[in-house]
Amino acid sequence: MYQRILVANRGEIALRIFRACRELGIETVAIYSEADRGSHYLELADEAFCVGPARPVDSYLRIANVISAAEVGNVQAIHPGYGFLAENAHFNEVCRSCKIDFIGPKPEAMAMLGDKNAAREMAKKAKVPVVPGSDGLVESADEAMRFAHEVGFPVLIKAVAGGGGKGMRVAANDLALKSALQQAQSEAEAAFGNGDVYLEKYIEQPRHVEVQVLADDHGNVIHLWERDCSVQRRHQKLIEESPSTSINQKTRDAMCEAAKRMIQQADYNNAATVEFIVDKDGKFYFIEVNARIQVEHPVTEMVTGIDLIKQQILIASGEKLALRQKDVKHRGCAIECRINAENPKKNFQPSPGKIDRLIVPGGFGVRFDSHAHSGYEVPPYYDSMIGKLIVHQPTRAEAINTMKRALAELGVEGIHTTISLHQEILNHSAFVEGNIDTTFVERTLSV
Amino acid sequence: MSSSGSGPGDVFDVRKIRRLVELMNEHDLGEVDLRQGDQRIRLRRGQEPVVSMLAPPVAAQPPPAAAAAPAADAASTPEEDPNAIFITSPMVGTYYSAANPEESPFVKVGDQVGPDSVVCILEAMKVFNEIPAECSGSIAAILVENGDAIEYGQKLFRVEPAS
Repeated sequence: MYQRILVANRGEIALRIFRACRELGIETVAIYSEADRGSHYLELADEAFCVGPARPVDSYLRIANVISAAEVGNVQAIHPGYGFLAENAHFNEVCRSCKIDFIGPKPEAMAMLGDKNAAREMAKKAKVPVVPGSDGLVESADEAMRFAHEVGFPVLIKAVAGGGGKGMRVAANDLALKSALQQAQSEAEAAFGNGDVYLEKYIEQPRHVEVQVLADDHGNVIHLWERDCSVQRRHQKLIEESPSTSINQKTRDAMCEAAKRMIQQADYNNAATVEFIVDKDGKFYFIEVNARIQVEHPVTEMVTGIDLIKQQILIASGEKLALRQKDVKHRGCAIECRINAENPKKNFQPSPGKIDRLIVPGGFGVRFDSHAHSGYEVPPYYDSMIGKLIVHQPTRAEAINTMKRALAELGVEGIHTTISLHQEILNHSAFVEGNIDTTFVERTLSV
Repeated sequence: MSSSGSGPGDVFDVRKIRRLVELMNEHDLGEVDLRQGDQRIRLRRGQEPVVSMLAPPVAAQPPPAAAAAPAADAASTPEEDPNAIFITSPMVGTYYSAANPEESPFVKVGDQVGPDSVVCILEAMKVFNEIPAECSGSIAAILVENGDAIEYGQKLFRVEPAS
C-alpha cells in the first residue's frame, strides 16, 4: 500500500481524497494555486505545495509543477480527481515514466476511450448497442446529408475529442445541418484543438443513465449499478440519482452487463463510468466511457455502501478486488444535488465571492461533500460547484422529502447559489413521477 | 498554517514543528536549535516541549545578512520589510545552490546580481533549470538551503535593490 499520495486537484474532490487516504493510513500531499492559498481543506493534507498562479493552465494543469511536487513530496502515487488532468493520457504517461502510479487506468486504455469514435467501435466489438452513427468522421456537408437521410432526422453532430457537452449540435433538417456542422467543428477546434466530428441519430427525449464499474489489475470487473443523470442544463448535470426510474430490472441488468463487457474490451482498470442513452421505449445505447472517478460518485456510494475512492486507491496499489459481483447490493434511493455558485435568476451567471455564513444540513440520510465554510472565498477561476448535497433513504419519495428538507436547511449567505433551482425541480410533478429526460430543465423551468 | 503564507520551506511550518517535537520525544532530545536565513527557532523540552521563536539574533552569531538592528518581535523580520525585493521561485522543484556539488555556489551574500545573473538551480523531473535573478542589486539573504523542496512563488533570496 502507498505511504504517500499526491492529490492533483482542488476543492471538494481533493478533500474527498484526503479523507479516504486518512482512513487508509496514507499521507497526502496537496497542491494549490495562489488563488487557493489558505483554503481550509488544504490543512487536512500532510504537506502542500503551491504550483502556480490562479489560472488552471498555469497551476493545476502545469504538468511539470505537478510532477515536481510529487517528486519533492516523495509520493508513490497521484490521484487526479476529476477534470484537470484526470483524463490526460499524456500526464498519465509522464507519471508512469517518472515511476509514480497514476490512480486510474493505463495510459493506453485512457487514450483509446478518449477518442469517442474509437470507443464506439470498441463498443460494437463488445456487442454493446450503439446509437446508429456515421462510420467514422464526417467532414463535408454532403456526407452529413447522406447519413442524415439514411438514419432519419434529427441528427446529433459530436466532437470526436469532445466532453462536457462541447462541440455538439442537433440538426432537424437539411437546412440546419450545414450550419450546425460548421458550428460544431469550430467549437470543437476551439475547445479541444481537434475539429473532427461524427454524426449520430439524435435520440429524442433521451435519458442519461450511466453505470459505475470497477476493474482491478487481476482481471476482475464488477459493476456497481446505475445512476440516472437526466436532470441537466446545457449538458451540465444538476441532479443525479440511483436507481434510475427510466429502466426496468431487465434493462438494468442488460446495461450493467454491457458496461462490464465494454470495460473488459478496453482492457481497462480502476474506476470508470459507462454512459448510455435510453430512449422513450427503454432501449439503451452506448455513448461513451468516462475514464475517471466522477463528481456524482457519492450517489453510488450511498446505495451500495462502498467507498469508491478507497477502492480506486486499493486497485491502483495492486490489490485484488475484495468484492464479488454478488456482494454488490443496491439499497434504497440516493439523490445528489450539485450546489453551484451561480445565480439562476440571471442566466446562471457565476457568483464568486465570500461566503459570509455557511450552514450545513445534517440528520438521518444526509451527506454534504464540500470544501466550503463560513468565510470561504469562492474564487472566480474554477468550476462553480461549491458542494454536493446527497441524501439516501429507503424509497424515492422519502429521498425527495429529505432532500427538500436538507436544501431548506442549507444556508449559503453572501453569494448566489442554485439551491432555489433544485427546490423547484424537486417540487415539479414530472420529477416526482420520474418522468425526466435531458430536455426537461430547459423545456419546463422558469430559468 | 497555509493561511499565514507558510509552506513546507518555512521554519515556522506547523507540520514541521509538530514533527520536530515528535522526533525530540522519540529520541529523548533536550533541545533543538534551527536556523534558516535570518530566522531561528528553538525547541526546549522540560516537562513538555517548549517552543520559542527568536528574533534574528544580534552580535555574537548573526547570520551574515542580518543588520545589527535587534528587531524585538518575529513579526518585523527583514522578510516583511516592504522595501525588500525577493527572488521567488517560478516553479516547483529542488533547490541547489551550485551547478554541481564540486562547484562553489552561484551567489553568496553581498554579491551583485543583474537580471540575467544565474542565482541557483531548480531541479524538476531530472531537468536542472538555471534560475535568473530578474532584478538588480546585491544578495542580502539566502532564504533556503541546498536540497530544499521549493514551491511556486517561494522566496529564495532577499535582494538589496541597486540604488
